[in-house]
Amino acid sequence: MTKITLNGREVEADPTKPLIHACHAGGVDVPAYCYHPGLTPVGSCRICQVEVKQGEAPARVVVACRTPVAEGMVVETESPRAHETRRECLEFLLKNHPLDCPICDKAGECDLQDYAYAEGQGEGRSVEPRRRLDKRKSLGDVIVLDEERCVLCSRCVRFMEEVPKTPQLTVGGLGSRSVIETFMDRPLTGNYQGNLADVCPVGALTLKPFRFQARVWNLKKTPSTCGECSRGCATSVEVLRSGDVKRIRPRYDAEVNTWWMCDTGRFAFEPLNVEGRITGGLARQGNTVRPVDAEDAAAATARILTAERPAFVAVTPWVTQEEGQAIRALAAEWKLPTYLVSPAANGLEDDLLHTGDPAPNRRGLVELGFQAKSPAEVLALLHSQSAAWLVGERMAALLGAANLAAVAGHKRVALFDVLPVDGPAIEVFASVPLYVERAGTWLNVDGVVRTLQSSRPLPSGFPTLERLISLVSAAARPQGAALR
Amino acid sequence: MVIVKRKELSFAERLYLPEIFRALSLTFRNMFQREITRQYPEEPLPKTEVTRGQPRLVELEEGSLACVSCGLCEAACPAYAITIDGGETENFIEREPKLFEIDMLRCILCGFCEEACPKDAIFMSDELELAGFTRKGLVYGIDKLRRPRAALQKRIDYVYRINDRWRNSSSTH
Repeated sequence: MTKITLNGREVEADPTKPLIHACHAGGVDVPAYCYHPGLTPVGSCRICQVEVKQGEAPARVVVACRTPVAEGMVVETESPRAHETRRECLEFLLKNHPLDCPICDKAGECDLQDYAYAEGQGEGRSVEPRRRLDKRKSLGDVIVLDEERCVLCSRCVRFMEEVPKTPQLTVGGLGSRSVIETFMDRPLTGNYQGNLADVCPVGALTLKPFRFQARVWNLKKTPSTCGECSRGCATSVEVLRSGDVKRIRPRYDAEVNTWWMCDTGRFAFEPLNVEGRITGGLARQGNTVRPVDAEDAAAATARILTAERPAFVAVTPWVTQEEGQAIRALAAEWKLPTYLVSPAANGLEDDLLHTGDPAPNRRGLVELGFQAKSPAEVLALLHSQSAAWLVGERMAALLGAANLAAVAGHKRVALFDVLPVDGPAIEVFASVPLYVERAGTWLNVDGVVRTLQSSRPLPSGFPTLERLISLVSAAARPQGAALR
Repeated sequence: MVIVKRKELSFAERLYLPEIFRALSLTFRNMFQREITRQYPEEPLPKTEVTRGQPRLVELEEGSLACVSCGLCEAACPAYAITIDGGETENFIEREPKLFEIDMLRCILCGFCEEACPKDAIFMSDELELAGFTRKGLVYGIDKLRRPRAALQKRIDYVYRINDRWRNSSSTH
């Protein structure tokens, strides 16, 4: 570690990182547009200029993202000279930047907006009209480019080159006519395009699925974990007015995904805004299905599992460690085998993040003792054994709702899923919350512990899955025995 | 317990009639003076440009709303009366409100929305009356809120004038 003086304070700096990293690590907010900690610094936006004095030489104003840290460096980020240089630089960046903040999706989390608000002059001095460029240039299925808003920081260009290693974007044109473009206007490809909207410091690159959907300050952001593959990227689940999930964004996590996430996980929020859920559950008697509350559904499940043999318990890989542990304890008491319905690899694996295995908690559940079985094997068991307890969201999707409905009527199945399935064998259905509504722990493919948090409140009468399992456990005991 | 001591009446007062005539003279005097009671629903209050009635959305000449659903009025609203959902359009300005609701039962007519609006799209109209049979019916959507710009012109001119005065005085303090 190198010692530098930052605004009159001695701090330790990492000599392998540029000076701006030391400033940020030391708690000094130096603005940055082209600098991103995950990308090579290029120093094209010039907004991170600070005053540096080294040895006997007079103090100079340098860009902090392209200056290596040296022993004994004296850095002043708030000196009048540094301030004035940055302010002038900002004025140039804003000269052609349209006043789009009211319609811009980035407003509220825009670095340029924040710094212009803090340091800008409020009024432009330029008398020439602003540059007119294409405001709605589609770059593939995911990204829309607004050329007017672009500050040509080239973060997107470097991201495409350095992270998924698929260089597709470039800065075309010269001087004031420079724009971001793809070769021959081909659409972008790849599974990491969504990150372009995150790395863009302004609102030039926006996500098509999120375009004008919500203002970012109305979104309630909850740290969570992606449930689309066994990597378990750290995410932020963003919910509008306690209702629909509008956006899923990566959260920095050094151990798992750093700053990035794949588009498969990012755009997997539509199924989370599911409609037609019921509170409590359903119970079948003969040919009639009637709604029951969660307690009754749990009691009916306990009756099936204590009466019928041979029987088994199967869970989906979205079940958390805590829930899995409770299910294992209950199954051990009743001497039932426990299986994990294990989806087949989806062929989306790459060298960066996606593992190709759409089972987020496979490792954790297998470590708990669940035996992995393919959906076809579980269906075969359903046909050969007399009762089953199927627990976890996407159970019907994994086994096939039609396959579940086709199980013969003399079998007794308790299904704990998000949406009910109608079939003669399905005697009990209980509604379970989605993984974005539950708290718990998953283990990712490398054994890293990932946590889930509830990102929106559950309706009343909607128990958590852990509570449902304990209700089943309590219903199987004689009155009062659960109090032991 | 309180003992109220009654006023001792004078002889003239005890005679009763002089006091009756004194009261009637007051009544007759007032009958010939100018009326100050206003027959409210038939005779509405005078409305000036300063009247701050219910907020309304400005409709431009081409029939679209000036609102771009930026959400600043929603954020500024101290009563949480405004709910906005945006969406994309084919117009030159790409964003427009798909849902713009003001809960008139929550609205306190403070005018913060008018002040916050960067697009001059919401103004306090001179409409003051509010009555309905259900609470839901008093949550006004876009169809009930939109007004042609001309209908709000008086207030718009006033707000511009006031804003100019603020802008010019800000350099002196």
